Amino acid sequence: MELFANLWAWFSGLFVITPAWMTLGAWVAVGLTIFIFSFLYKDNPFFKIAEHLYLGAGMGWWFQVYLYSIFIPKVWDPLMAHQWGVIIPAVLGISLVTQFIPRISWMSRYGFTFMMGYGAGLAVPAGLSTDFIAQIGGTIEPLSRMASMTPFAIFNSLLVAFGVICVLFYFFFSVEHKGAVKKVSSIGIYFLMIYFGAAFGNTVMARFSLLYGRFDELYTYSGSNYFYATQVILISMVLYFVVHALANKGKKGTSEEAA
Amino acid sequence: MLKEKLEKFFKIDRRWIFLLLAIVLFAPIMKPIGLPNKTISRDAQNAYTFMDNIPAGSFVLFSLDYDPSTRPELHPQAMAMVRHAFKRDLRVGVVTFIAGSTGLISQIFAKVPGEYNKVNGTDYVIFPYQANYAAVMTQMGSDLYGIYDKDQDGRDARTLPVMKGVKNYKDMALVVDITGTSILDQWVAFVGDKFNVPVVGGVTAISQPGYGPYLQTKQLKGLLGGMKGAAEYESLIKEPGKGTSGIDSLNLAHLLVLILIMTSNIILLIIRYL
Repeated sequence: MELFANLWAWFSGLFVITPAWMTLGAWVAVGLTIFIFSFLYKDNPFFKIAEHLYLGAGMGWWFQVYLYSIFIPKVWDPLMAHQWGVIIPAVLGISLVTQFIPRISWMSRYGFTFMMGYGAGLAVPAGLSTDFIAQIGGTIEPLSRMASMTPFAIFNSLLVAFGVICVLFYFFFSVEHKGAVKKVSSIGIYFLMIYFGAAFGNTVMARFSLLYGRFDELYTYSGSNYFYATQVILISMVLYFVVHALANKGKKGTSEEAA
Repeated sequence: MLKEKLEKFFKIDRRWIFLLLAIVLFAPIMKPIGLPNKTISRDAQNAYTFMDNIPAGSFVLFSLDYDPSTRPELHPQAMAMVRHAFKRDLRVGVVTFIAGSTGLISQIFAKVPGEYNKVNGTDYVIFPYQANYAAVMTQMGSDLYGIYDKDQDGRDARTLPVMKGVKNYKDMALVVDITGTSILDQWVAFVGDKFNVPVVGGVTAISQPGYGPYLQTKQLKGLLGGMKGAAEYESLIKEPGKGTSGIDSLNLAHLLVLILIMTSNIILLIIRYL
């Protein structure tokens, strides 16, 4: 028994975060980042490794989240404390899994029915109030206090109201879009295009921010305290591509290039 | 002859553009240029002003719902807003509905509270991850201890000094949600509008334009958008961080994109009318 306890203590000690583990973590982070980015040049085995590792690690991660953050605290612990009420939601939840067994898949309907009813009951009133009534109010309300508004605010309120009407016309399909209706709905398209343009511009900024985040980490891990992880792995990857290109010189390439 | 030469521009291997972009983004990290971030958006200013006007000692609930995939944009926002809350001596509670967020929350609270001599349990509390945000948000409207009876470290939440006098949303001065998901919509719908609690958001740049309607109707009191939003908030609290340092790279990358778009269009026009 003592031997087992000692072995367990030694095994647990392996996972205490030490500088060595941090350095190893840096190498793994840098390696996986560069492996994934390497696809921008050409498909390669290192990219495949990183891709598969991501899927596997993701599955493992979610399994432990469901087990330790949901099943144990929400089902197992209450059952151990004789709180039998949790059996009802647990059985409803388990009924969803019967989808995979055709003979008893009808049982899943009970779970889905509960989810549908519960979800609709929560979402419909909140959605109507927040996204429908409040937004109509927000469009009309400024028009009622124009006397106290600046000329720019008045213009802004009118523009918003005008834009809303035009876009609504664009999505109103029960009337044929011709004549005046066509003109109004065409203006609606311009309002939509302005929104899409702003959204696309922001998307570009967001993607650059994410890339910056990875590069910032690569720079951090390029220091001597991490044994030059970034430089070593980057140079190794470049060497791999050079050697691979020389070895396959003259052969017709089958690997996929960045799209 | 010139036309053929110009047409070659459109057949350029796109990997050269990837390389150029990588250099443009990486160079300022190695050697910061210090380009100024002079514009503060109205929504970021409103978020700052709202937090700044909350009386000291009030309870502010942070819902930090982002994972490593949106870390570069949202982590600096969370750092800046938590710093501001501590600077203002506000009590801070943290919840999350994203499992991947727990490690990032630990990172923030391993660093920031120490800068302001804040103590876990007395000045701030971190609650464990919970799935199903709709149920949690609804339950917290009547009694938050019905969901969060213990904090992340297993302590009885009711007995913690930071939770004194806090039972539900009525006892909270503000809810801040920083997220790369649509959870902010639910905070507005299930909590802000229903329980009349002020809500401030921090979102990715992609999601930012979609929150315009909530800002116009004041359903959201303020909003930070992407890394730019983080940089703006860092400027407002005068604590430069990762958001500010990223501005150099973002500016240069955008400049590159603009140059490429303009060059392509000019060449296209020359080809067409030559």
